[in-house]
Amino acid sequence: MYNRAFLFNGIGSKPEKLLVNMPPELMDKYEFYLDSAFGRLGLSKDLEKNSSYDGRVAEWIISLICDRVVFEHYISKGIIPDIGAGYSSGIVSISGCFGCVPHEFAHDIIMMNRATMRCLDEQGEELDMGIVIGFSYNDIEELLSARFSPDVLVIGSGNSKFHVMLSGRTEAVAEALDLCQREGALKVFSFGTGVAYHHPIMEKYSREYVDFCASTEYRAPDYPMLSIFDREIMTTGQQVMRENQLNVYTPIRWDLALKKLEELGVTEFFDVSPNGAVSKFSRVNRKCKIYTLEDV
Amino acid sequence: MREITEEIRQEIKDMIFDYYAEECEVEKDEITMDTNPQEDLGSDSLMFVELIEMTADKYDLDIKLQSIGKYMLKAPMDTMSDVVEMFCKIYQYGNDIVNQ
Repeated sequence: MYNRAFLFNGIGSKPEKLLVNMPPELMDKYEFYLDSAFGRLGLSKDLEKNSSYDGRVAEWIISLICDRVVFEHYISKGIIPDIGAGYSSGIVSISGCFGCVPHEFAHDIIMMNRATMRCLDEQGEELDMGIVIGFSYNDIEELLSARFSPDVLVIGSGNSKFHVMLSGRTEAVAEALDLCQREGALKVFSFGTGVAYHHPIMEKYSREYVDFCASTEYRAPDYPMLSIFDREIMTTGQQVMRENQLNVYTPIRWDLALKKLEELGVTEFFDVSPNGAVSKFSRVNRKCKIYTLEDV
Repeated sequence: MREITEEIRQEIKDMIFDYYAEECEVEKDEITMDTNPQEDLGSDSLMFVELIEMTADKYDLDIKLQSIGKYMLKAPMDTMSDVVEMFCKIYQYGNDIVNQ
């Protein structure tokens, strides 16, 4: 029986936004992990001093470190998960926190995004991702399926009844966002990061990343994990490794993953990001609650 | 169309001000009808969605976000006055707000 699920956020939150809600008593631990990780990886804590690719992955690693600090804080308070799920790169984060791989290896996986970005640049690919607020997965699918081929645009992630991520070619993403805005989206914006995570086109550009994910042996997770791709419960290291590999180029249904967790009996969700990022774009039914660091 | 009384209008205004004060961590009396929710309070669209959901629950409204989005194309939410006015219209017209 599952009652409590931990939810791990993906990349996207700026460090200053992540850290604003981190309580002072956790900042020492955060600084320790940050020094240790950035020292080992040769990244500058002054993020602007990092080269282009390094700067981006540095931000993402900060996100993982924040998750780790909050995760350990919850555990120290006796809040133990029965199950967990990771949203996008939250899969890497949960793999570290649930003991499948060392945290250092999780950071190394994130570093491998540099190879993917380099590969995309070398091939002159123009890719992007965008967010639509105010539409559900079904709304968007109905609106876009007749107008865009999956080769150029997919729904990268259905997050909730009002939050969807699009992924694909830059021009198609921009066109789709414009259309959604005209059709009543409350807000649309593009990431402008040059990558299209969760679009199948990423598969051929992320071979190094995918190979690296398989370059170590994964332990069975300390707590079961739910796949956000097929919504199966993962209890072996092999399954978690596969989840990490699929992550870059496979669309997500986060909304359905949360629904599945509810069906499994979960009523308490704990957002592991320090700023409650997951709780903002996720929704659960009225009998359930998403707790954030502020609530603990 | 649902009738709106002065009491309901005031209740909606209080609910909105209370919400932004709490979410944006500012004193309620620092917020005026001229305050810009994005620029002055740092609010974002996800907060706005939550406020819509809260209002729909409180007044038992069945409102589509796209109806509100289309209305906002005509009437941007630049000040708290705009926000209060829009929520009063949601109360009155529901999904038909798009035609107002």
